[in-house]
Amino acid sequence: MKGEGETPFLQIRDLVKTFGDFTAVDGISLDITESEFFTIVGPSGSGKTTMIRMLVGMDSPDSGDIMLKGRRLNDVPANRRPTCMVFQSLALFPHKTVGENIEFPMKIAKVAPAERRRRADLLLEQLRLPLSYYDKGVNQCSGGERQRVALARALAYDPEILFFDEPLASLDFRLRKTLEKELKDVHRETGKTFVYITHSLEEAMVMSDRIGIMRDGHMVQVGTPAEIYNRPVNKFVAQFMGEVNTIEVTRAGDNTVKSLSGDMVYTVAGDSFDRFEKGFLVIRPEVMKIGPAAEALPNRLAGTLFNDYALGSRIQYQVRGADDSTWLVEKLQDNPFDGTLGDSVTIGWQPKDSILVMD
Amino acid sequence: MKSRRFSVSRTLIVLWTAAIVVFLYIPIVSVVVASFSHKRYFSFPVTKWTTKWYEKAMASLSVRDLIETSLEVAVLVTIFSVVLAFFGALAFARYDWKGRKFYQKIILLPIFFPQAVLGLALLLWFSAIGVTTSWHTAVFAHMVWIVPIVTLIMSIQVYSFDPSLEEAAYDLGATRWQVLREITLPILSPGILSGTIFAFLLSWGNFPLSLFTTGADQTVPEWLYAKMVSGYTPMVPTLGSLTVGSAVIMLVLAYLVYSVIRRRTLKE
Amino acid sequence: MRRRRFFTWLRQPGVLSAMPATLFLTVGFIGPLVMVFAYSFMPPRTFSLAQAPTLDNYFAVIHESYYISFLWSVWLASLTVALLLLICYPIAYGMAKLFGKWANLVTILVAVPLLISENIRLFGWVLFLLKKGILDGTMQAFFGIEMPSLLYGVPVIVLGLVYVYLPFMLFPLVIGISMVSDTLKEAASDLGASRWQIFREVELPLAMPGVLIGAMLTFILALGSLAEAKILGGQAVIMLADDIESAFTFAQNWPRGSVLSVLMIVFSGGLIFFLFRRIDLDRLLGGR
Repeated sequence: MKGEGETPFLQIRDLVKTFGDFTAVDGISLDITESEFFTIVGPSGSGKTTMIRMLVGMDSPDSGDIMLKGRRLNDVPANRRPTCMVFQSLALFPHKTVGENIEFPMKIAKVAPAERRRRADLLLEQLRLPLSYYDKGVNQCSGGERQRVALARALAYDPEILFFDEPLASLDFRLRKTLEKELKDVHRETGKTFVYITHSLEEAMVMSDRIGIMRDGHMVQVGTPAEIYNRPVNKFVAQFMGEVNTIEVTRAGDNTVKSLSGDMVYTVAGDSFDRFEKGFLVIRPEVMKIGPAAEALPNRLAGTLFNDYALGSRIQYQVRGADDSTWLVEKLQDNPFDGTLGDSVTIGWQPKDSILVMD
Repeated sequence: MKSRRFSVSRTLIVLWTAAIVVFLYIPIVSVVVASFSHKRYFSFPVTKWTTKWYEKAMASLSVRDLIETSLEVAVLVTIFSVVLAFFGALAFARYDWKGRKFYQKIILLPIFFPQAVLGLALLLWFSAIGVTTSWHTAVFAHMVWIVPIVTLIMSIQVYSFDPSLEEAAYDLGATRWQVLREITLPILSPGILSGTIFAFLLSWGNFPLSLFTTGADQTVPEWLYAKMVSGYTPMVPTLGSLTVGSAVIMLVLAYLVYSVIRRRTLKE
Repeated sequence: MRRRRFFTWLRQPGVLSAMPATLFLTVGFIGPLVMVFAYSFMPPRTFSLAQAPTLDNYFAVIHESYYISFLWSVWLASLTVALLLLICYPIAYGMAKLFGKWANLVTILVAVPLLISENIRLFGWVLFLLKKGILDGTMQAFFGIEMPSLLYGVPVIVLGLVYVYLPFMLFPLVIGISMVSDTLKEAASDLGASRWQIFREVELPLAMPGVLIGAMLTFILALGSLAEAKILGGQAVIMLADDIESAFTFAQNWPRGSVLSVLMIVFSGGLIFFLFRRIDLDRLLGGR
């Protein structure tokens, strides 16, 4: 962590951008530390692309400040900012070779041809591309190779911050997984600040030092992957990762909450209870217990097992509760639940495994 | 793959298309044939073939004058039209701006307009502002019709232009001018080339606009028409064929240039 | 405040790019049209605009039967459009769906004649159809049949119109038909529709923008055509554009010529306006 008195790296203050009646970015403030891998996650329409475009300089904010190491960037045009973006479409110049693409920013910066070539070769190596690709046409490269060329070109600009606009969105699963890891490796090797946007929280979890969750132009929560996962600040963030069990509850007594109907009481743990009045209790399927293991738990209920789904390494069980609510329980595939559909079962969870959110 | 059931209609369509293509070239072939006929007044079958009319045409000073006028007009029209249409096409298909839909429709209007009426209207216009018609005014007149057409042709290519390419170049440090030179123009060069060819040939062969706006000067098509209607000479098919021939040569050259550009653009 | 917003709008790259062509066309196209419109209100046989407006010329259109040339033009243009729709649809279908790479060749073959002066092409038809021309001569030489004179009548004018404006129907139709997705037709077939029903319910409606543009373009161009009737038809039919030209040249009656031009402009303009309201050019040309 940086000490006090040091100039913070990238500071965003009250950034606002509207398009006619629609507010895309509604007063966002954010600090990004040097050399971190920061991911902005949000559903489509949340404003994340607009946000990034303002940071890079493609659009100008209606109000607010963008400061890099104390210097105000608002009026600096995109081609003079020490930032560079990898576009979603990659934007590789089709009429230039791989080598010419990578050298483009250096050519603009009037670097000598020999030096350009040297650096381009270094980048090709760093991005694990064969040196022979220098003369290859970009349209003949595979999807993964094109990603690397785009990254090499951005690195050739030698920016302070690299921005990524969902570059892996159009790739198939395996390629995406491979490139996610490679991206992380490049980040570590270059030590540059990466700001990445995606709609997949799962992808963000893999690569990021910190994550910012965006929704409708607001930054809902900023924190490390663990913080986001274990202490989501509201229902939206909690549900963003995937299916969770959610119950509407109000404060009951000592470390307890009760469901709206009043008949179920649950014990909770943790300091989030202190200020809690009403909100939601969120329990992830993978911490739920089913069957004999659940019978001794303080929070438990009876239900009927009515469905099961194989989800790769896990199996998901759907249980219908007494009040017709649907509960999801997940177990690892090598430790399945021994029962048949239609059985009565007990499900439950530990107080420490549930999450309380206000809205 | 189309199933067997459709192959009969497919064959019919292919035959019909071939027949229509032949139909399209009948008059052109006829003109070329007539230019080689020895007789002063054309009749078929041709009894004696000759190239003397071509020799006469090449030697004639008035023919040279006509060709020169047509050429001057066509070259100027091409240069101005391509420049105006290039930016017009960017406005049409590349940038999004308030008023674009309206602009798209307005700019195509002259294409729908009968050229003879346009020519006459321009004649009125020139006389109203006190300009004498000559080949200069013809350049202006041609452009009114040709700029929209070339804009349309270029727009079709501009539509498939990826704007993020320009943004990326800008992001990588290029000035607006460098972006234009390094990215926009090279990628759009096929469209620019097609536009240039069309502009030149449409101006070269244009009659209705030239008729009313060239004043004392005369272009090849004007002369051909005058002779066709009265005072037929075998020079008519001859000059006609020369026009056809030069158009074909231009197109072949353009195709060669285009292939070279394409190869460089795609880096095969 | 409004001034500032105007200048902000003006500085956009799209607007700046549009400026040169738009300004040029305002001077070169709108201007002359306004001029024509103004002249149509001037007293007959005059040449200056500085006179009191009158509607004499408009009345004369009816009284002196100039509307006949208008009717002929509309009739021949309509006939041309109908024929071209029938002729070009199969070809357009082939180009959009069947020919694959060969479609480009057909495009070039059809486009090249456009680059050759219309007069030359029409003259070629004269040479072909003339007595003792190519057709007659071949028939006599090989079959001993003497062809009647095919020129200088109404049918040959229609032939000329169909010939000249064929590409203007074909290319829009190709664009229109290529917008009909094959999967939709397969789905319709899967749901039990016959070939004719698929054509009527799926293909034609989806190709309609192309059909409309092709029809509109050919109609308006044929409406304003001049050369076909003159070169191929002799005196058989006087088209509207011919009347306009005569008014401006032989008859030395600019106001009358202007009225006829206005008539043509309003009629064509009305059709264009109607058409453009219903067409999205971005989708048609850009496929977006």
